[in-house]
This record gives sequence, structure tokens and C-alpha cells, in this order.
Amino acid sequence: MHEPELFVTQLLNNNLAGLGNSLIGLVGMAPQQRPWANYIAMQLLVVLLTIVLFAILKPRLSVDRPGKLQHIFELVYEFVTGQADEQVGHDGYRYVTYFGTVFLFVLFCNLIGLIPGFESPTMIPSVPAGIALATFCYYNLAGIQANGILKYAAHFAGPIWWMAPLMIPIEIVSHMARPLSLTIRLFANMFAGEKVTEVFLKLTLLFVPTLFMGLHVFVSFLQAYIFMLLTMMYVAGAVSHEH
Amino acid sequence: MTKKLMMLTVLLLICTTVLCAQTPKYPTAGGHWAAISAGFGMAIASGLCGLAQAKAVAAAAEGMARNPGAAASIRFALLLGLILIESLALYTLVVIFVQVG
Repeated sequence: MHEPELFVTQLLNNNLAGLGNSLIGLVGMAPQQRPWANYIAMQLLVVLLTIVLFAILKPRLSVDRPGKLQHIFELVYEFVTGQADEQVGHDGYRYVTYFGTVFLFVLFCNLIGLIPGFESPTMIPSVPAGIALATFCYYNLAGIQANGILKYAAHFAGPIWWMAPLMIPIEIVSHMARPLSLTIRLFANMFAGEKVTEVFLKLTLLFVPTLFMGLHVFVSFLQAYIFMLLTMMYVAGAVSHEH
Repeated sequence: MTKKLMMLTVLLLICTTVLCAQTPKYPTAGGHWAAISAGFGMAIASGLCGLAQAKAVAAAAEGMARNPGAAASIRFALLLGLILIESLALYTLVVIFVQVG
């Protein structure tokens, strides 16, 4: 089931195939004829768009006369920092950078699929897996940095010391399940949204697919929020031990 | 912050070499029974998920009606609960796509 290539992917494959082949050669994959996959090109496009958006925002920031863009980003900032304060507590401000990045990246990746000619990179299981893996590394590193590695490893044993032989396997399994559930939740929601729109496009052709695309907008926002919220909860659990 | 970022990047790069290993595809034994059980499995998962979410929404609506001042916290708990229950039904969907394709 070979996906037809998008416009952006064709641009990259026609012009930058050598760069693509050297990049995949870095991780040991054999060179291919058209190395850039759709989802890689879409992720790079999302990153580029985010950088351009913030580059447009920065010179327009002002204390006395804020513009519309500043109002929108103040909303986003208040939302992320408010949630971080609520979930992580008084130390939330240290981690807001990562939470905001995850939220905006997942949100833009989800939403870009609605534009015809582009596809959500989060529809491919590797992309949510990458973000979930980054979250997994981040919350463990944040816990180790906040508490020290011995104390962080000790909190796997639970509150009562003689229950440790039971608690440690349970805690390890539950920690392993976290990136898995993050991945599958995001991937399945985006994949199902796309499939449902496709099926109804084949069936009814006119108005009904747009209803599903509207639902997909709502689901995209919700899934980005949930990803960020769960990241915050994991960081809160890792950092807040006896702090 | 920069050191943490560096450690994070290094960890991720180590993981990529492991993750880029591809396993060969094995043909699923079972044939057309896989499609039938996929249909039943998904129906059961969606039905139970629907019941669970209905209970959650009913409790949340009643809570918000009794105590409108707490509506924000109840709404937050409701959304979180709905998303986590939804993901259980979606795990079944993913298993179906892995088996049936």
C-alpha cells in the first residue's frame, strides 16, 4: 500500500535525495531511490512553519499596544503555564518549555492533515512514538535531576519498604506502558479520523466528510492537550517526591 | 538546561539505532477468521467503551448540576476520564490493524 507522494515530499526527493540518503546512512539504513518519506517532510514543514510563526511574532511583541498575534500567544502561554502550575506545583515553570513545545508540535502536526495536499505526520505510528519516547526520556531525566538518581530509583519501591518486591515490577511495567499508551492514543485517534473521512468520502461524496473533518479538528486539539497533560502528570510524579 | 537537553538528544540518538531495526513480516495464520473476530472484537470494545463513557458523562453532568461553582474541575476530570476510556477502545482498533491490515 504505497502512499502517493505529497507535493512537499516530491520537492525534497527531486532536489535533496543525496542529503536524505546520507541522513538515513547515519543510522545504518541502505540508500534508497526516494529517501524522504511523507511524514518526515511534513514534520520538517511543521517545524519550519512554527519557526516562521515565532519569527513573525517576536518583533511584534509590545507591552503598551499588544497586537492580535500577541493576544493569541498570550492565551496559549497562560494556558500552558496555568496547567503546569496546577499539575506540577511550584516547580512547574522549569518544565514549561518542554510542555509548550510538545503541545504546539502535536497540535500543528495534527492540524496540518486537514489541508488538502498535506498529511498529518502523527498518522504514521513512528511520529507519536518519537514524541512519546522524548517525553519518557524527559520525565525520567527531570526526576533524576530534581531528586538525584538514588532517590529517584528508590521511589519505585513505593511508600512501604517491605512491599517493594511487589511494587517494583508493577511500577516498572506501568512506566513502560506510559510511552506505549501515549503513542497508541495519538496515532489511533489521528489514523481513525483520517480513515473515517476517507470512507465517507467514498460513500457520500458531498457534505458528510466535512462534518468528520470538523470533528477531527476538535479531536486534534483534545489529543494535543491530553498529550501535554499526561506529560505534565508524569513529570509531576517524577519530580514531586519529598520535594 | 543545556546539559539536560544534550543528554536527551544523546539518549534519543542511541534509541534510533535500536528502533530502526525492522522485523520481517510473518503471515498471520487463521485467514478469514481474523476478519470476523476483528469485527466482533471491535464491536465489543466500542460497546463497553460507550457504556463507560456514558456513566462518566452522567456523573459529571449531575455533579455540575448540583454544584455549578465546581464546574471547571468537574469538566477537567470528565475530559481526562473520557480520553483515557477512549484510548482503551482505540487499543483494540490498533490490534485489528496490525492483524488484519
